[in-house]
Amino acid sequence: MTAAIFSHDSRSSAATGIAAHNRSKALRKILTYAALWIAFVWAVFPFYWMIATSLRAKDEIFQRPPSLVPHTVTIQNYIDLLVGAQFWRFAMNSLLLTASVTLVSVLISVTAGYAMARHRFKGSVVLPLFMLYGQMFPPVLLLIPFYAQLRLLGWLDSLWGLIPVYLSYMLPLCVWLMRGFFSQVPHSLEDAARMDGCTRWQAFWKVILPMAKPGIVAVATWVMIHSWNEFLYASTFILSEKNRTLPLGLSGLIGQYTTDWGVLMAGGVITALPILLVFFFLQKHLVSGVGGGAVKG
Amino acid sequence: MNVRSILKGGAAAAVLALGLGSSPAFADNIVMWVNAALANGPDAPLYEELKAFQAATGHTVEVQAVPPIEMEQKLFVALSGGAGPDVMTLDIAWVAGLADAGLLADITEKAGPIASQYQPGPYSSGLFEQKQYALPLYTNNVALLVNDRMLADAGIQKAPATWQEFHDAAVAMTNKEKQTYGVSFGGNRMGAFQLYSFIWQNGGDIIDAEGKSHVADPASVEAVDFLAKLYTESKAMPDSVLTAGNWDEVHAPFVQERAGMVVTGDWALAAVAKANPDLKFSVHPLPAGKQAATVIGGFDLAIKANTSVPEASFELVKWLSGERSIALMRKYNRLSALKKAATPEAIAALPPNMQPFMQQAAAGRARPVVAAWTQMHTDVFANAWDSVIRGKPAKEAMAEADAAIKNLLEK
Amino acid sequence: MSARTVPPSGLKPTWSSIFETGLGARAYPYLMVLPAVVIVLGVVVYPVLSGIMTAFYDVTLRSLNSGDMDFVGLRNFERVFADPNFVRALQNTVVWVILNVVAQLGLGLALALLLHRAMPGIGFFRSGILVPWVVPSVVAVLTWRWMYDPSVGIVNELLVKLGVIDAYHPWLGDTATSLYAVTVESIWKGTPFVMLLLLAALQLVPKSILEAASMDGASRWKKLWYVILPQIRVSFAIAAVLTFILTVNNFNAIWLMTEGGPLNSSEILFTLAYKYGFKRFDLGLASAVATMLFVGLVVATTVYLKLIQAREED
Repeated sequence: MTAAIFSHDSRSSAATGIAAHNRSKALRKILTYAALWIAFVWAVFPFYWMIATSLRAKDEIFQRPPSLVPHTVTIQNYIDLLVGAQFWRFAMNSLLLTASVTLVSVLISVTAGYAMARHRFKGSVVLPLFMLYGQMFPPVLLLIPFYAQLRLLGWLDSLWGLIPVYLSYMLPLCVWLMRGFFSQVPHSLEDAARMDGCTRWQAFWKVILPMAKPGIVAVATWVMIHSWNEFLYASTFILSEKNRTLPLGLSGLIGQYTTDWGVLMAGGVITALPILLVFFFLQKHLVSGVGGGAVKG
Repeated sequence: MNVRSILKGGAAAAVLALGLGSSPAFADNIVMWVNAALANGPDAPLYEELKAFQAATGHTVEVQAVPPIEMEQKLFVALSGGAGPDVMTLDIAWVAGLADAGLLADITEKAGPIASQYQPGPYSSGLFEQKQYALPLYTNNVALLVNDRMLADAGIQKAPATWQEFHDAAVAMTNKEKQTYGVSFGGNRMGAFQLYSFIWQNGGDIIDAEGKSHVADPASVEAVDFLAKLYTESKAMPDSVLTAGNWDEVHAPFVQERAGMVVTGDWALAAVAKANPDLKFSVHPLPAGKQAATVIGGFDLAIKANTSVPEASFELVKWLSGERSIALMRKYNRLSALKKAATPEAIAALPPNMQPFMQQAAAGRARPVVAAWTQMHTDVFANAWDSVIRGKPAKEAMAEADAAIKNLLEK
Repeated sequence: MSARTVPPSGLKPTWSSIFETGLGARAYPYLMVLPAVVIVLGVVVYPVLSGIMTAFYDVTLRSLNSGDMDFVGLRNFERVFADPNFVRALQNTVVWVILNVVAQLGLGLALALLLHRAMPGIGFFRSGILVPWVVPSVVAVLTWRWMYDPSVGIVNELLVKLGVIDAYHPWLGDTATSLYAVTVESIWKGTPFVMLLLLAALQLVPKSILEAASMDGASRWKKLWYVILPQIRVSFAIAAVLTFILTVNNFNAIWLMTEGGPLNSSEILFTLAYKYGFKRFDLGLASAVATMLFVGLVVATTVYLKLIQAREED
């Protein structure tokens, strides 16, 4: 709001002008919050429903009409899940797998993406596109070739064997995305740093990376979520109980004939919660404080 | 003693130790993939059973529990990659496809001597092109669950035993204001599965022993028409018949006391009791048409074709499916497929709710054991049922199904 | 922008200074992309090539085991084209893709703009709106299926309470609505990721440009159209391509809700390929469909990206 210079005569009209502006600003604020709440409810409702079902008593789950809020809240489903099944083990496996894949993906894609965005070298135009193509073949039909490969290497039924498989369909995308983010970082920043005497590496580390942080966080989060939630490859290549990941634990809850929906939903909540928490902490890094106004023009 | 003699002595000792310490000549390690429902925890009855087996024969068994929804795909990928377990538990519907691909071991000779101890229906589920590939572990069939209160409210004294009574009961329990229906049925594959019993009851057939299709016969068409009209004309089935794709969804109207009857198997007993403990229901054999018939389901035990331990594997299969299966399967609330399990004394020993299922055992029929069965079931029949409940005339739908089946049989 | 080759003076040499000049300077881009290339070549190329090759052979469960997988040229493709389900699946795929991409991009952009501000509690809203993305896909789809249930579904109950419909409707069981019902779920699940990408891109738009536009008296709409959108154009293109690929290859949503039914009303090419491969055990047919999908995706994205690049250059 500019503090305009008003003449004495127009003070009253200016006052109404300001009041009107205030009103419309307040209205905009209300509308914004309303929109935010609508989007929030739309996004969260199915998750709420999952939680509600998991907290329902077993004889209330098939009730008609379904009630928005459970009549009787019970944690029996969670008890059934965490005491009987081996969910702790599955969670640890998922954690190891996800952490490894995320780390490797981010490291490789950041370096490769930066190189592709900044430098014209042989293949710098074709390579990113090629990476993207690798992403496009329907994963389901790669099951048997992958199985043959893993068996040859003796990496079946092992979490470490899953890492290259996951990388195969996450890495191309990460490289491609990182290239996109790096290409949005202005060259002038980097040149300024170099002129101040930094080596390429120092410029990269101290100036470019912080600017690309939102992009890196976005990519890392994508890899984390997809590794954590991946089902198809894990279910085909993991055989023994002790190596199963959380999504496999979930599928084990789908019974041969009937399913205990309360327990299944509890499993879904437990599987989703860690990632949600991690994300809640990371989301403030999506805001770049640095660099937004550091470049003139 | 010089170094040389120490070494010689050491070598001799080593050989002796190896000789003494090695396992007996025929003790093998068998890898078995088991339906996770049977191995649902370290103290599952199966493990005790396997311990007994190991003690008696010396063979060791390595168990891998596989969740039901992953089993078929895992078997397919593993076996076609040349790997896979030595022994596996299979849904009886999968036997034909795997046998046709040459992935299962032919146990006709080995099974010959013990064939007579099994019920004929379940035993035939492992027979493909005149060769035996699997032995039955447990069997189930479908019966009629009836809501006693709703039946009485509709003025009917006893549960339906014939098609006419079934029709009348369904219509009587259908009430538009109260929003209740007569019977809950499934859609797509579920409906197809429930359908087969009725086709056989009317004297029709799906595919006979010679491999000829009979789905377009008047008797078969009549059965499909009878059931479809319960929905399309009498509105005696809730709308869930259009979508119900798993047993939970089929049971839901029954559990909610919106449908008075449901055609389902013994797996429903525990599920329904848990979902609605206050529901008072009784179990009855399926109503008989021109004859009694019910579709058989269940799991078989099969052996991989190129297993390195064929003898040991068969011993395991024989052990698990033999005499001891009655007690073992009872611990899982499932029914063994032995003839001994279907005698009146054995039946009387079952919980009252399970008895009607076994009483029907003689009328149980296995679905056709042909290589393309999976496709016939999920594509042809499922689509046929889906279209008749959406109004297509049964004659037309079954004629199309007949053509499709003939096509698949020719391949 | 040229890479500087003159070493900076006055700074103590660090290990990375070998990359400043000469061979080091020329080699280092290749070194940086090497790990990525190695992995992609090693782990992606073989399976994909193998998958494509399978389309030209007779590969069924039976032939895999007996070992005689004959080369059949284009016969698998012919058989696919002759299948009436193929045409249906193709139509459905087109509808599926268009609805998903347009809705997700539009809603994603709207949400990103909405969330790109520093209001109290914005972190709470951001996390909440990202929930669909975080929930495991299998569980999300099963939950939605449960919500659509014609006997117990909360969607039906809510719609009746709001007066939109009179009675419970079998959304997934009605051939007219099955595809659209699943589309609602996939839009719900996919939009947050688009929003995330665009939000990250919005953060990179220099504030100075926006201030300059404001001082020139630009209205909010003009700012959006002429300043913001061009700035995030690259990310928008990325989001569009990704959404396109992920939608075409989205298996869980349709499979776990309707399995392509009823009566193939929600069948897309991907589920058709799955049925050929894992229900009919005919991998040759499945690979034929997969190869067609692959080629289609490659062509579409290449064309699109070339167009974007062309516009970037002017």
